[in-house]
Amino acid sequence: MSIRHGLLALLSRGPRYGYQLRAEFEACTGATWPLNIGQVYTTLSRAERDGLVEPGETDEQGRVVYRITEAGRAEVGRWFGTPVAPSDRPRDELVIKLAMAVAAHPDALSVIQAQRTATMRTMQELTRAKRQADGDLAHRLVLDSMIFHAEAELRWLDHCEKGLS
Amino acid sequence: MTLLTLESVSRTYGEVKALDGVDLTVAAGELVAVMGPSGSGKSTLLNLAGGLDRPSSGTVAVAGEDLARVRDLAALRRRSVGYVFQELNLIHSLTAVENVMLPRELDGVAARQARQEALAVLDEVGLREQAEAFPDELSGGQRQRVAIARALVGERRLVLADEPTGALDTATGDEILTLLRARADAGAAVLLVTHEPRYAAWADRVIFLRDGRIVDASLLESAR
Ligand SMILES: Nc1ncnc2c1ncn2[C@@H]1O[C@H](COP(=O)(O)OP(=O)(O)O)[C@@H](O)[C@H]1O
Ligand SMILES: [Mg+2]
Repeated sequence: MSIRHGLLALLSRGPRYGYQLRAEFEACTGATWPLNIGQVYTTLSRAERDGLVEPGETDEQGRVVYRITEAGRAEVGRWFGTPVAPSDRPRDELVIKLAMAVAAHPDALSVIQAQRTATMRTMQELTRAKRQADGDLAHRLVLDSMIFHAEAELRWLDHCEKGLS
Repeated sequence: MTLLTLESVSRTYGEVKALDGVDLTVAAGELVAVMGPSGSGKSTLLNLAGGLDRPSSGTVAVAGEDLARVRDLAALRRRSVGYVFQELNLIHSLTAVENVMLPRELDGVAARQARQEALAVLDEVGLREQAEAFPDELSGGQRQRVAIARALVGERRLVLADEPTGALDTATGDEILTLLRARADAGAAVLLVTHEPRYAAWADRVIFLRDGRIVDASLLESAR
């Protein structure tokens, strides 16, 4: 899920304390995904168990700094390289991924382009289905809804890209 | 069968690299859409594909013929290539059917036959009734369909359309795409420039241009 990937993406910029990760996560994603500090530590300890992060020094207040491992970097790379499929999308995942890409990926444009290609492919399939759904109005309207949704996503991706350049 | 081939095609205007090392093929029966921000080289690509402009380097071939070696480029354009532009370039003193006949007459086809062919294509685009109307008597969508009929007449196998949906409303835009799609399904190669995702989605393939280059989706492909 994307809390884990979001935290890994932030750690790919350098070691962080849990409270820093929480603040940066919320700063990147705006109000779309508030996190509590408990979620951050649970996520970090599971990621540590899976070998994706490792704890470093503890400061005077007993806080632990975390750094990302090679396996963790590979996992972030895979996440950014895999477009969100329309079927398994909690809508926010794309927003989170793009926010993280802009904040932490060395080539956010390529993440945007990969998503654009995938979303356009979806839209081509929907449009083909609509051509074949000739007589059936209800079916066509459902397809229209999905087409508009994909269209909005493409416009938003263009908008993200403009913001980068 | 491949009807259009671009190999490492570049086009520079002074300092500006309008197109930079583009490779592209379009096969018979295929509708390919080109998307990209303003200034990314879409129109340049289309003009080169239709022999309206020459590449600074690289080769463009239409139906296997290298355009740099063709003796009578104008004739090849009239016979094999149909263009639809956003500015329609209809001749206002000619009726719809006369506009559509024009490229065939230029090609030496007898007026009688050219007229019959033009009427058949006007029928195909749903304008049989308006054949004798002048452009000013038609709606924007009807004028655009006349322009498309003119691009299709004479069975031209490569159709190039640069923002053909221009300022048309959605329903009219869909009609235009229906026509282009039908022509591809009937065996033409169609290359369509558009900035509207909903029209690009009619294509078999969508390519994205950025700063004169085709953007690849390697990140996507490598994750598959
Ligand atoms: N005839 C020309 N002379 C000089 N520069 C040109 C000419 N045609 C196009 N360009 C430049 O080449 C680039 C691509 O233009 P164009 O192909 O028209 O882009 P698009 O159709 O994607 O908006 C732009 O920077 C444009 O200014
Ligand atoms: Mg243009």
